[in-house]
Amino acid sequence: MAGPELLLDSSIRLWVVLPIVFITFIVGVLRHYVTQLLHNEKKVDLQQVSDSQVLLRSRILRENGKYLPKQSFAMRKHYFNNPETGFFKKVKRKVIPKNPMTDTSMLTDMMKGNLTNVLPMILIGGWINWAFSGFVTTKVPFPLTLRFKPMLQRGIELLSLDASWVSSASWYFLNVFGLRSMYTLILGQDNAADQSRIMQDQMTGAAMAMPPDPNKAFKSEWEALEIVEHRWALENVEEELMCQDLNFRGLFS
Amino acid sequence: MSSISELYDVSWEEMRDKLRKWREENYRNSEQIVDVGEELINEHASKLGDDIWIIYEQVMIAALDCSRDDLAWSCLQELKRQFPDSHRVKRLAGMRLEALERYEDANKLYDSILQDDPTNTAARKRKISILRAQGKSSEAIRELNEYLEQFVGDQEAWHELSELYINEHDYAKAAFCLEELMMTNPHNHLYCEQYAEVKYTQGGLENLELARKYFAQALKLNNRNMRALFGLYMSASHIAASPKVSAKVKKDNVKYAAWATSQISRAYQMAGRGKKENKCSVKAVEEMLESMQITMS
Repeated sequence: MAGPELLLDSSIRLWVVLPIVFITFIVGVLRHYVTQLLHNEKKVDLQQVSDSQVLLRSRILRENGKYLPKQSFAMRKHYFNNPETGFFKKVKRKVIPKNPMTDTSMLTDMMKGNLTNVLPMILIGGWINWAFSGFVTTKVPFPLTLRFKPMLQRGIELLSLDASWVSSASWYFLNVFGLRSMYTLILGQDNAADQSRIMQDQMTGAAMAMPPDPNKAFKSEWEALEIVEHRWALENVEEELMCQDLNFRGLFS
Repeated sequence: MSSISELYDVSWEEMRDKLRKWREENYRNSEQIVDVGEELINEHASKLGDDIWIIYEQVMIAALDCSRDDLAWSCLQELKRQFPDSHRVKRLAGMRLEALERYEDANKLYDSILQDDPTNTAARKRKISILRAQGKSSEAIRELNEYLEQFVGDQEAWHELSELYINEHDYAKAAFCLEELMMTNPHNHLYCEQYAEVKYTQGGLENLELARKYFAQALKLNNRNMRALFGLYMSASHIAASPKVSAKVKKDNVKYAAWATSQISRAYQMAGRGKKENKCSVKAVEEMLESMQITMS
């Protein structure tokens, strides 16, 4: 049953909808610059860099080893996988599990992240709720079920009102996520105002250059390298080459 | 002295784009860079905006190549003023000291960078180049080996090490370095060809066969690599002329060598098309191929 079409005062558009957009945008830009000011360089550990390069080399050996002579491939595989002296067997890294509560650097990072992202959102959301409450702001263009009413219509106690009519708080949240692409346009990729990406990062956990446990990475790489066979790609290269004349186009001008 | 923009009738944007192309493709045409860059810096500095810093770096390195100490010094001053604590600028200062042959001071500078940041690869590589410039190749080799133990993925370093080993005539180790490069860049015909050349130089039947295979691979990757074509001919005829091979191997190699000869003649004929000297050059090539034939001793 479609509700009666409401006609909203046009001053709502002027004094509510547009100001919320501007406020959200400007706060986002400010957040970006504040994050840049508070940001400190992550110190890279030499050991980690070295380990990640070794793993990369082993992976390349697995993929492109067929271009090397058999002897060279065997030599490198032996270097990595030999039961007594192989790199992956011999090298065990001391892994200190990084407890977020006690590790100071991660703690400060988390605090800074919280401060710059969550705090403004709560403050502004609360202010908007207080300042712009009690009236309907806008209508979302698609029909919603009644379940959404208490969420989207804070402050408006009308039982028969269609759930598509929402309050200013929900318009604010819509803006927070919607202006993401605007930030990319103006501040360039990888900007700190992109809140949803930050929330995604927090959910997937700390993903640094190296997995926190190099020993596990070594073990899986060892297994992968064990099963690789050497199939020389150059076995019949002369026959393949000589079945047709060479193409000298472009050699002489 | 007319300026570049008048001589070649190019605008400052074109000059800037040219510099960017040279920077990205790692060209080493230092004199050109100095000419173009100097004019850009002196005439159009305000229009370049933030690009000017990387142009300062590029022009400074080119100026060191051309012995233009004045230009290098002024670029360095500008960069130092803008980025006072930067390791990158410190490295440039060290390079200038190297150009003045003040190796002790340069070494001290690089050591201070490394103390601050042990993972800084640029400073370590500059220290190794100092050793090379001073002619201490065995120390340079040792340092480079240590560097590569920690940073196995640095391809520039592997190539440098292979060059050092070739100079020391340690071909087995040079081959190892080139294998690393071939592994990471399987489609680069130049690495295949260099590897084949090292194997050919090492000599011995097995190495010659490997050399022939890798010359063929280089040709397959790039049909126009004449050096690989000649290498294929040489290695095939060398194997065919060796007394220790079986008849089948000999027959195969003679076939390969004949094919290579025909391709070489074809190439020279195409090169001389429409030119008067065509007949002479083709004959010269044939004579050369005959004289290069390895005779059984």
